[in-house]
Amino acid sequence: MNRLIDVITSCDSTVRDQSLDAICRNATLDQLLAYTNELDQFRRQEPNLYYRVRALFFLEAIYRYHVPRQLTATASGLIPYHGYEHLLHRRFIEAIDTFLDVQNSVGPCDGIASALAGAYHQLAFQTLADQVRRSVRMVRGNQWMFRIGHPADHPLRLRSELLVMDSSTGAAPILREQTAVRMDFSHSAWSDIFFLGMDYPEGARVINASVDLAVRGRDGEPKPPIETFVRVIDRPIIRLTSVDLNATTDIEAIGDVFDFARDYLGLLKAAVIASGIVPPGLEGCSQKIGDLLDQVVGPGMGLEIVSKINDIPKGSRLAVSTNLLGSLISVLMRATSQISTLNGALEERDRRLVAARAILGEWLGGSGGGWQDSGGIWPGIKLITGAAATDGDPEFGISRGRLMPTHHVLGENEASAATRQSLQDSLVLVHGGMAQNVGPILEMVTEHYLLRNETQWNGRTKAMKILDDLMAGIKHGDLRAIGKLTTQNFEGPLQTIIPWATNRFTDRLIELCREQYADQFWGFWMLGGMAGGGMGFIFDPAIKPEAQDWLGKKMIEIKRDMQTALPFAMDPVVYDFKINDRGTFAELLTGDQAFMPDRYYALLLPGLLRTATRDLPLQTRLELESLSAKCKSGSEGKSTAALLLDSVLPHAVRTEASHQSLQDQLSMAGFDREQHEQIRADLRSGRIGLSQNRISSSTTIGDVRSDDVTDLRVGIQQKFIDLGVQSIRDGEVAVVTLAAGVGSRWTQGAGVCKALHPFHRFAGRHRSFIEVHLAKNRFTTQKYGGVIPHVFTTSYLTDEPIREAIQKSNHFGFDGPLHVSTGKSVGLRMVPTIRDLRFMWEETAQQMLDAQQQKVRDSLRAALMNWARSAGEASDYTDNSPSQCMHPVGHWYEVPNMLRNGLLARLLSEQSSLRYLLLHNIDTLGATVDPGILGHHIAGGASLSFEVIGRRLEDRGGGLALVDGRPRLVEGLAMPNDATEFGLTYYNSMTTWIEIDALLRTFGLTRDDLSNATKVDVAVRRLAMRLPTYVTLKDVKKRWGHAQEDVFPVAQFEKLWSDMTALPEVSSSFFVTHTRRGQQLKSQAQLDPWLRDGSAEEINAMCLFS
Amino acid sequence: MQVTKAVITAAAPNQNTLPLQRLVDREGYDKTALQFIVEETLSAGIEEICVVIQPGDAQAYQRAAGEHLGSLRFVEQPEPLGYADAVFRAKGFIQGEPFLHLVGDHLYLSTCDVPCAKQLVQVAEEFECSVSAVQATRESKLPYFGIIAGTHVPRYDRLYEINRVIEKPTPTLAEQELVTPGLRSGHYLGFFGMHVLMPEVMDAVQQLLSDATKAKPTLSDAAALMPSRQRYLAYQLQGNRYNIGVKYGLLIAQLAIGLSGRDRDQILTEMLDLVANRPTEAAITMIEGTLAR
Repeated sequence: MNRLIDVITSCDSTVRDQSLDAICRNATLDQLLAYTNELDQFRRQEPNLYYRVRALFFLEAIYRYHVPRQLTATASGLIPYHGYEHLLHRRFIEAIDTFLDVQNSVGPCDGIASALAGAYHQLAFQTLADQVRRSVRMVRGNQWMFRIGHPADHPLRLRSELLVMDSSTGAAPILREQTAVRMDFSHSAWSDIFFLGMDYPEGARVINASVDLAVRGRDGEPKPPIETFVRVIDRPIIRLTSVDLNATTDIEAIGDVFDFARDYLGLLKAAVIASGIVPPGLEGCSQKIGDLLDQVVGPGMGLEIVSKINDIPKGSRLAVSTNLLGSLISVLMRATSQISTLNGALEERDRRLVAARAILGEWLGGSGGGWQDSGGIWPGIKLITGAAATDGDPEFGISRGRLMPTHHVLGENEASAATRQSLQDSLVLVHGGMAQNVGPILEMVTEHYLLRNETQWNGRTKAMKILDDLMAGIKHGDLRAIGKLTTQNFEGPLQTIIPWATNRFTDRLIELCREQYADQFWGFWMLGGMAGGGMGFIFDPAIKPEAQDWLGKKMIEIKRDMQTALPFAMDPVVYDFKINDRGTFAELLTGDQAFMPDRYYALLLPGLLRTATRDLPLQTRLELESLSAKCKSGSEGKSTAALLLDSVLPHAVRTEASHQSLQDQLSMAGFDREQHEQIRADLRSGRIGLSQNRISSSTTIGDVRSDDVTDLRVGIQQKFIDLGVQSIRDGEVAVVTLAAGVGSRWTQGAGVCKALHPFHRFAGRHRSFIEVHLAKNRFTTQKYGGVIPHVFTTSYLTDEPIREAIQKSNHFGFDGPLHVSTGKSVGLRMVPTIRDLRFMWEETAQQMLDAQQQKVRDSLRAALMNWARSAGEASDYTDNSPSQCMHPVGHWYEVPNMLRNGLLARLLSEQSSLRYLLLHNIDTLGATVDPGILGHHIAGGASLSFEVIGRRLEDRGGGLALVDGRPRLVEGLAMPNDATEFGLTYYNSMTTWIEIDALLRTFGLTRDDLSNATKVDVAVRRLAMRLPTYVTLKDVKKRWGHAQEDVFPVAQFEKLWSDMTALPEVSSSFFVTHTRRGQQLKSQAQLDPWLRDGSAEEINAMCLFS
Repeated sequence: MQVTKAVITAAAPNQNTLPLQRLVDREGYDKTALQFIVEETLSAGIEEICVVIQPGDAQAYQRAAGEHLGSLRFVEQPEPLGYADAVFRAKGFIQGEPFLHLVGDHLYLSTCDVPCAKQLVQVAEEFECSVSAVQATRESKLPYFGIIAGTHVPRYDRLYEINRVIEKPTPTLAEQELVTPGLRSGHYLGFFGMHVLMPEVMDAVQQLLSDATKAKPTLSDAAALMPSRQRYLAYQLQGNRYNIGVKYGLLIAQLAIGLSGRDRDQILTEMLDLVANRPTEAAITMIEGTLAR
């Protein structure tokens, strides 16, 4: 039998836990292909889900990491577009068949291997997601909700206690649930991912504590941060309100409950569905919500549901949203008798039921959490473990473990009151301010787990051992030992499994704690998917209060220092916390106690005041009367009154100030209002737009011929290398690194400076892109001699941070000439047109999401179109921080900027021997001053030599094409249709060798003209007019509230460097280089494969770090 | 064992007039609902019947009993303290003997030659234990019935050993605790409103009534205690029950009786005439749509 299949199916853990790498490392290409053939047959026939999934991950890894290593350098081939279309539409099996057909007919190549890896990867995750979804539906107690198809069949009835109105005040009773959040004690090495727990239940273990919170300096005593409320109202609607998000909505149609992204109340809607009030089986039902409420509550009556999380910031890594969902589900299930107790704590079976429904709710809302996340529902400290599926479980025969874990609440003999107290006395819980998407990390963990790579598997084994030690530490109440263990866990196994679990911010904080408190700093405690948000620091109790204050200040200081490089969503805060020993808890508030939280009234009052009192529903009128009485009594009444008054009286509008500063910043950055108005007019009239970006379909576009390119992958003759070395030695080359962009994909529009992002540890610490490029430069000059000036081009957003970082770090230890070329062009973003939004979302090929996520995305897109319509199409986008409203105008401008801002003149005067520039993107880490390639450029005599690479599946966005018989680079935006790109063998890496004097000639300039600013300006404008202007839509984040973020698509325009190849007078040549040289790191999800395929190591070998 | 006594409860608030309603039987004769229930009971070989009523209802019930008055004894429930209390009022009547119990707001229609009550009594007499009549009930009807969970008794059709009884469970609880193998998904065994109970049930009822934490216990609460005390079976009868206490309940019960009797054709003709001459809005829309095409 195939060894790999043996590994998958073996019952012997020594065989089953072998790593794929160990088996494939020395395999030949033929052996690898034989493995893949057998694995593919195996996964097609194998009924066992987890065997199938592991086979799929093996296939992905072989095609992504092992096959490419064995291919000849020039083995390139085209990825068939119809296979790609299958992928976009989630027809993964068909896509795999298509790619395999091509591989069988033309032989293996890098492009097809990447396509197969991508398809197997997606099929594997889809299979896992389908299984979790099936398991969620199969949990007993959930199934009925999928069978109810009509409101008349609704089997739930509201508890009679909630229908008894108070005789004196007329108030409806309010059921209030108070719920803690959960804190992961041990960090579970992400073993709470459902897939892991279901495949490896014995390895899925977490110590998890329920905690009450207070933000230090803002709130009083810690209390359960989550409060949810439900009551009957006298209108046949469901009213949902989130006081933290300042959002409220009245739902009148059943279908609207399933429209998750229409407003900020998606989580409340998911709870309404998952609690069975509006069962998921009713999706698509066209009835009014009143028909349903008629059955459940009574004729003419409705329900009001309110949530409050006491402004706990998002990204706290304390599973606030899952526990909020659990709290809402619990209160609604109590109200409908699905939970037997109306008041008080829950019983174990009810807690399990709530947790199962919370999983369902998360799936409905298109989000996902771990199985420990609803831990706040349980009391105290508990050990949560995966459970083996046994006969009678729906999972039996499908997966080794159950979907739902087992919770064991630690008793006094396992975690004494003294231990709990010392934990409270030692641990400083904080939110570091970073709120990042941990989705990619969870995918990486799953993949690593299934592949069992030696280092990661050892890490997991160590983490399991640490958990045992932690249990012992808790038993003995030894906080110092606990601190040591959690630190060991963080610095050892966690970072072995996922190096990106930490970042420079977190590392710096730990360093400072060690420096400041030495032995009195007992350890670091990582929470959740990655560090930077919620974290814990353990101190000697004697200094804890002082350390709390000190840490609060330090975190803000470091955040200020790093906020341009790392995506912070808010200022860091320190919490006070207390272990919650009762779990989620409910009380029925009646009579004069039946009030919603004050902020609820502050939110609704302005709207109510606009309605004449006589027109208000009776219940509302009575409630306002009671509220008025409350305001007149006691100190609590006074604070309520103050809050209410604040809600109805006008405030100073601060947006004026930010608008002013936007105008200032625009004018400082050289904003051209005239050009902006012209673009707006063109955009409105339809002269420019996404569809107009495309080259006319009458243009002939085809793949280049072999003599249109110089293939440098097969080797470079020594004479070219010698020529290049001589040029370097003579000081003829400078490097220009494009660093004006903010990396929209890198931080999903967070607007930080990508160039400064310390993305990976090299030579012992996290290094930014800038540091890596400078280290390569240093390596080259040390090897060949000479001086290579290095330029980073910047824009309004990146200029100051980059200059500051360079200055503060003392040029990152780089002793050569280092320059910053300040951008001289800026644009103002606009609200997109509906036409462009439709074009992007409906006309262009794009990846469909998993069914439920796609529904959420469709709902969000409908909401965004409404936003564009109401904000005014093509109007200025100003409702955000100034830096998020402005945009760099495309990398074409970055070279002319060097002419306009005098930097090129300065370079030439400081080093008159300069003749060539190497221009590359900030994220092209493999770009170096390679003497062989430089030699080819010099010998070829072209003005511009562009480096292209063989196309892989993920390389989208243009390529080298033969356009009407002439080879040139075509941007993805300009392709006449989506299929064209797939007919092009080479992808543009953007790395360009420039002959300075030839470039100047293109502008109609000489070296001497560079001192004449007017002449330079005219020359730049003239050339700019000859290049196309592209309209693009970019995602920008708008931050608000407590680390909340909204993402808006906004329109901007760009001119792109590759269009230089379209100018007939510019002589261009094209070099085909190794993929790794041109590979770009566009998103953080690429980091893991980049590390695993050896790219990181290769980059490290090119660098000499200071 | 022989079952010769029956207890009919008719004391629930707002439901005490239901047995007095008049209907037309299969043969076309006018009868009260009480007569229907009493005839069903007598058909099972019962000799003495106790009807539990509200104070002051005796006269009306005596009138409604018609020719069967001689078999009836009336016992009053002084205060509306719930279903279990109503049954307990008949303790003196049953005198330690097994008894058939029916509710006063249900009518039964057998789908075979043997009347419903008789089917049930036969099973109880054969197995000499308590037996409750049950029928497969859709989960949307759970808020109206006591539901049992049981295991099938080998070699006997439609007979189950009861493990659990829960009054008006939520579908969530029903799915977790009350699934009986062999039924369609989303269906549970719901009480039919007819039981043969061993006299020990009165002990269970008494225990419940003396428990101050239980307000107005139901018979299901007492039934829930029984599986642990003695053998307790459930039998899926061949027949249907009609709750005349719900909206249109009486009308539907009458239609069911009428359509199974000699006036079937006449009723069908009248119904068609009603439909044809008073078309609904939906029907009009449909006709207009057809014409437009």
